[in-house]
Amino acid sequence: MFYREAGQFKATYEADSAKFPIFQDKLFIWFYLVIGFVAIPLLGNEFFLGAIMIPFLVFTLAAIGLNILTGFTGQISLGSGAFMGVGAYACYKMTLAYPEVNILIFIFASGIFSAIVGVFFGLPSLRIKGFYLVVSTLAAQFFLEWAFQRIPWLYNYNNTGAIDGVSRWLFGIQITGGGADRTAQYIVCLAIVVVMTWFASNIISGRIGRSWMMIRDMDIAAELMGVRPLYAKLSAFAVSSFYCGVAGSMMVFLWLGAAEPESFDYNHSFEILFMVILGGLGSLLGCFLGAAVIWILPILIREWLPPLIDKITPWVITSSTADLVSDIIIGIMIVVFLIMEPHGLARLWAIIKQKLRVWPFPY
Amino acid sequence: MNAHDPHLSTKFDDGIAPGEELLHVDNISLSFGGVKAITDISFDVLKGEIRAIIGPNGAGKTSMLNVINGFYHPQEGTITFRGEKRRKMKPYQAASSGISRTFQNVALFAGMSTLDNIMAGRTLKMHKNFFWQMWRQGPALQEEILHRKVVEEIIEFLEIEAIRKEPVGTLPYGLQKRVELGRALAAEPDLLLLDEPMAGMNLEEKEDMSRFIIDVNQQYGTTIALIEHDMGVVMDLADRVIVLDYGKKIGDGLPHEVQSNQDVIDAYLGVSH
Amino acid sequence: MELLKQIFIEPFETMYALPDLLLQTLWEGFVSGTLYSLIALGFVLIFKASGVFNFAQGIMVVFAALCLVGIHALGVPAYLALILTLGVMALLAMSVVQFVMKPLVNQPDIILFMSTIGITFILIAGGQIIFGGEPKAMITEELGLPTGSSVLEVSGGIVIFQHIDIAAAIIAAILIAGLALFFNKTKIGRALRAVADDHQAALSVGISLEQIWVVVWFAAGVVALTAGILWAAKSDVSFALQVIALKALPVLVLGGFTSIPGAIIGGLIIGFGEKLFDLYWGVPLLGGGTESWFAFIIALLFLLYRPEGLFGEKLIERI
Repeated sequence: MFYREAGQFKATYEADSAKFPIFQDKLFIWFYLVIGFVAIPLLGNEFFLGAIMIPFLVFTLAAIGLNILTGFTGQISLGSGAFMGVGAYACYKMTLAYPEVNILIFIFASGIFSAIVGVFFGLPSLRIKGFYLVVSTLAAQFFLEWAFQRIPWLYNYNNTGAIDGVSRWLFGIQITGGGADRTAQYIVCLAIVVVMTWFASNIISGRIGRSWMMIRDMDIAAELMGVRPLYAKLSAFAVSSFYCGVAGSMMVFLWLGAAEPESFDYNHSFEILFMVILGGLGSLLGCFLGAAVIWILPILIREWLPPLIDKITPWVITSSTADLVSDIIIGIMIVVFLIMEPHGLARLWAIIKQKLRVWPFPY
Repeated sequence: MNAHDPHLSTKFDDGIAPGEELLHVDNISLSFGGVKAITDISFDVLKGEIRAIIGPNGAGKTSMLNVINGFYHPQEGTITFRGEKRRKMKPYQAASSGISRTFQNVALFAGMSTLDNIMAGRTLKMHKNFFWQMWRQGPALQEEILHRKVVEEIIEFLEIEAIRKEPVGTLPYGLQKRVELGRALAAEPDLLLLDEPMAGMNLEEKEDMSRFIIDVNQQYGTTIALIEHDMGVVMDLADRVIVLDYGKKIGDGLPHEVQSNQDVIDAYLGVSH
Repeated sequence: MELLKQIFIEPFETMYALPDLLLQTLWEGFVSGTLYSLIALGFVLIFKASGVFNFAQGIMVVFAALCLVGIHALGVPAYLALILTLGVMALLAMSVVQFVMKPLVNQPDIILFMSTIGITFILIAGGQIIFGGEPKAMITEELGLPTGSSVLEVSGGIVIFQHIDIAAAIIAAILIAGLALFFNKTKIGRALRAVADDHQAALSVGISLEQIWVVVWFAAGVVALTAGILWAAKSDVSFALQVIALKALPVLVLGGFTSIPGAIIGGLIIGFGEKLFDLYWGVPLLGGGTESWFAFIIALLFLLYRPEGLFGEKLIERI
């Protein structure tokens, strides 16, 4: 009843192909932006920003990266964790070498390194499909993990073997390193994610995005329509890894403050893949929803389950057991979603919107 | 709007006069391992005609189309398209030199809408680079809208306005075939290859499709090579017919000539070799 | 120049100078190669029968071994524990088929693959909750597997053959041969290959998909249990095994996804390759630890050159 396109006529193709064709959608998006940029920084505390919102944004960006590759181009990857690592280490090396350059520039530039590495490991995709690519991207994962551990130059010969976020300032506010301002970090993260989501949605709805989806849906037909698989696949790998790389340097510089090689291990790759599956393959909105569920659910369970078990049963469980419980729940959710709704939460959202449109009538 | 405003209302111009040779296939042989799919086939396709390729199942018709648009690479023989002679070419090259096609089993992009599928046909006509696409403002948006117009013309031509935004996976078979034709047309091909455009259709759908094929041929002057099993349709539509059997050419000529050719009759009635 | 010498000359000098070391390395490569083959075989079984790339195969190895040790720890005799573990694997096979495979029949391969990643997570976390996450010792002696070692003297040095390794190679060989016979010569084997080719066609000639799937998932479970016992006898039962089990994937790439001989030869190539590479090139030149990625990088290079694997069938694409 409230969510209706009735009376909103589109007179141009431009209006017809707009991102948010309905007035109510535009309203919603402005509403969310105001909440994100104004309400949360004002009301959120250190825990909410640092343990929930910033990681959520970082993983959303990584999920967008993986979704570009897997959801839009149909190439499975289990290497996103390592590609995040490439971004993080690249950013670390660059900002140490040129401390005076604005850190934001390096955060974006680190994506370029990640893109180059991604293209290299994407090369086999030109000759192989599906599962074989899993092996190729796992090669990236394990090789890069090893490199982060064994090449001391990458972590600047630290005796800890870890990289730590050096302190850098933006407009006079410290945004990276120890003692950085959480709120500022959050706003920077949000701004990066909003801008990059907007870029992603533009690319996807244009010629390049279409050529990715053509490869995904029917690669032979795509080739016969004039899509060059070389360009389409490698550009998807490049863009995907770029996003992961930026997410990786955000993770180190705007969230954790430091990172070890284990921060980029293959469990991360799985986590990101789960976000994409659960959120919805081939949906940008899904990346936000998937990241929210997979990141926030374990936090809630860790917070609530042990006391609950303590209260109603004679057993006591630790928070690490609670984490295992959330792993099981996530695993089950993945299987259930694949069975019931392979397009994930994003499709559920679309269904809800459809229901809203006709509400209060059933059809 | 600039001078290059693409519009479908004029005939596709490729600088070849009607009746001249558009495609010439010379002594093509193709085999997979030990299996010979095509043996020493030659024929030509003239600008503006509808050329039918017929033959029993397994005669090598689809393989022939696959060779023409570069999907299979023949071991012997050459293909001359618009005066350019090649043996091997990539599907991409075939597409960009103006060959477009539909498929025997509908090969639409199932996850995309009708509109996007037909827009996909215009891939080769769009050139704005990555950075413009990223912003989707100015030139990139302008290009997108321009091509949308052309696509809308095709949608109107094929009478599929109502399903413009439907995902193609959910459409009935007849409509899918129509969308596929639209996608092939969107590339503004010089040579349109249709692989069994009417397979599995009922009479009414066949009539519709035949009308579209004739309209495409006459309105846009597109040269068409088609594979079809329905002899009635072939005899009505085609200007000239090639008959293949066991990978060999056994007949070539006007429909009524082919119809009375003894080899062709034998092939269809199944005389032992 | 120095680097070239280090790459192309020095490793071979070392090999020549210390033949006992070389022989020992080859033997270790052979043993881990047979175990990789065994794990890969589990993948091949399920892939052949259902077209499903079962990512959970690695964790099934760990899970089976954990189950065996866990049941034994409750005071159950070793052989009974073995039988009970087989029962658990059968139960697992049935539940996977019932709750995952059946509802997903005819879905795209990528969906099925992702569902097995979901299963992987459930098994990892479930295994840790039930059995605890700490490494455990395998009940090698209780199962009647040999321990101890023999020593062979080779030109001034010694080569040690662990008896468990010899047993592992023999058991793996028997199991592989048995499975190959089973799938090539029996009626179920033929039905299985029919299912692999085309689910619906197989259904239409009266083959019960469900039954076949339970059989292969159970067979894969048995293979996983064997691999788990043999591997854990060499080290320990721990979740780290799961990462090692992932090396079956490059083995499959080398061997081809559908070929049993491919899985064996691929396993041996990877087994020999990674041990030799790490010892003679990895440690002196790259600081060691190359075993974690060597197999994958080899597979990657191989994919560029021959994507269908050594023994896989080359597909002619039709449209």
